[in-house]
Amino acid sequence: MSDPAIFGILLTVLIALLAGGLWVALSLLVMALTAMMFFTNAPAGLVLATTLWGHSHSWPLAALPLFILMGEILLRSRLSDDMFSGLAPWLTRAPGRLLHVNILGCAIFAAVSGSSAATAATIGKMSVPELKARGYPESLILGTLAGSATLGLLIPPSIILIVYGVATEQSIARLFVAGILPGAMLVGLFGGYVAIRHFADPDLIPGEAGQYTLREKLVAARRLIPVFLLIAGVIGSIYTGIASPTDAAAVGVLLSIVLAVSGGSFGLSDFREALLGATFTSCMIAFILLGAAYLSIAMGFTGIPRNLATWIGTFELGRYGLLAVLMVFFVILGCFLDGISLVVLTTSIILPMVEAQGIDPLWFGIFLVLVVEMSQITPPVGFNLFVIQGLTGIDILRVARAALPFFLLLLLGAVLITVFPGIVTVLPDAMGG
Amino acid sequence: MRRTLDAIYAAAGWAAALSILFIATIVTVQVALNALARVAGPNWSMTIPSYADFAGFALAAATFLALAPTLRAGVHIRVNLLIRRLGRKPARLLELPILALAAVTSGYASWYAGVILWESWKYGDTSPGMVAVALWIPQTFMVAGLGLLTVALIDTLIETIRADGPVIRDAEET
Repeated sequence: MSDPAIFGILLTVLIALLAGGLWVALSLLVMALTAMMFFTNAPAGLVLATTLWGHSHSWPLAALPLFILMGEILLRSRLSDDMFSGLAPWLTRAPGRLLHVNILGCAIFAAVSGSSAATAATIGKMSVPELKARGYPESLILGTLAGSATLGLLIPPSIILIVYGVATEQSIARLFVAGILPGAMLVGLFGGYVAIRHFADPDLIPGEAGQYTLREKLVAARRLIPVFLLIAGVIGSIYTGIASPTDAAAVGVLLSIVLAVSGGSFGLSDFREALLGATFTSCMIAFILLGAAYLSIAMGFTGIPRNLATWIGTFELGRYGLLAVLMVFFVILGCFLDGISLVVLTTSIILPMVEAQGIDPLWFGIFLVLVVEMSQITPPVGFNLFVIQGLTGIDILRVARAALPFFLLLLLGAVLITVFPGIVTVLPDAMGG
Repeated sequence: MRRTLDAIYAAAGWAAALSILFIATIVTVQVALNALARVAGPNWSMTIPSYADFAGFALAAATFLALAPTLRAGVHIRVNLLIRRLGRKPARLLELPILALAAVTSGYASWYAGVILWESWKYGDTSPGMVAVALWIPQTFMVAGLGLLTVALIDTLIETIRADGPVIRDAEET
């Protein structure tokens, strides 16, 4: 049978399984087993077992449960309560005023947690009622929240970058560092958009009474300062090479426990909940990674990705053409699949064709995460939309419409890093090694 | 029976959680030792033998042991657009073959995991680090975890046959 036909059959199997509701990790395993059993002569079962074993005990992957645990602990601390009261006094005079609390709060929380849904839930719980009570327009409250929460995927420590790094054998430290500038750029784009909306229509944003002295501002933010130090410590130690991401994550867990306990209202039962939650989330992601690892190997045996790369090469799309096609493809796929599944499917099937075009896999990882961010806020499957619907009771389509400008800003961000790849590569290149 | 199974899932979940706590502890201690060596001079430099290997094995144990409780908690991700839109009866009809296929796949993986466990034991394979760990020891957790996942899938299948709709509630719906 010809390669495109085999690939078509396998893809149909995968889509049918996913649509039927088979768990993603098992769907990947079944697709890979189908490929191995029917289209290769390799011993499917033995390769499966050695792959499951070989990919389950890596040192870089140990950062995954630890960073998830750190986020789960801080999620249950008073951090979310402090975020609004700590940030608001600094922002009353900025164009767009307290809407920036959503953006900056999400960016800060993203730096300690790797999950965008958790970021949306934590920040939104405080900021949505506060901003509504002050008369801010609903579409901007929801839009800034939905859009900025996706920063959780890009700003290190990022769970999805660990997944990409492990699946493609890229350095996780370099991926983390590569995410810093694009993350900052998106914060700038989101903040700029809110400011422009304010300038265009000054009545849109309600006024804020009250002036704060620097002293009052610092007092209000006093509980946020340790969090800033924690973030600076984690990212700084990875950047300077003092610690590997796994080392930094372990110390981050310890420090977040200290922070949570000293903030009060964090007891042993909270810790148990955080630990069990982190265990389950980490297991879910690791299982998908194992499924994807076996799929990669099965696809390698069939030779399909290599031939697919050659086939795509004959279209002479060039670098930009290929990226544009892939982006459209991912955005459509992202309407139905979650980010992690999207990333592992890409790394097992599409990466060879990307590398064949001479695209840097480090840069492509950041590009992919940006596209996954877009998919978080597109209906019908957009995890941030679900979370915000659950939080506010507002219909998912209305949330999606409010998030649309931020979807376009993410698109602009993806175009910017494509035209100026230096935004991604300059910091990791400066790391050396 | 119901209570025994639930207790086993819970125990596996806590064993996995303790493995993750073990990783956090061993890595933090090593970082502290590194810091000590930097401050007090190279005479003080100490390394926990093969700590990266142990962290890796603990991660594998955590992942595999947590498979079944994660399934029962509804945390494993799946596309549930279709299942959620169907009524309880048709959703159940779709869920049954899906669960059966999942159980067969998981059972197949458990069997071959058992085969490589047997080979590691027979040939006395060890890890290459400073402390040579006999590989069958950590691999036992893989076989146990995959086996328990198979049990949990069959358990869920039987529950679904008896119930009038899907049994597992996916976590993101709540």
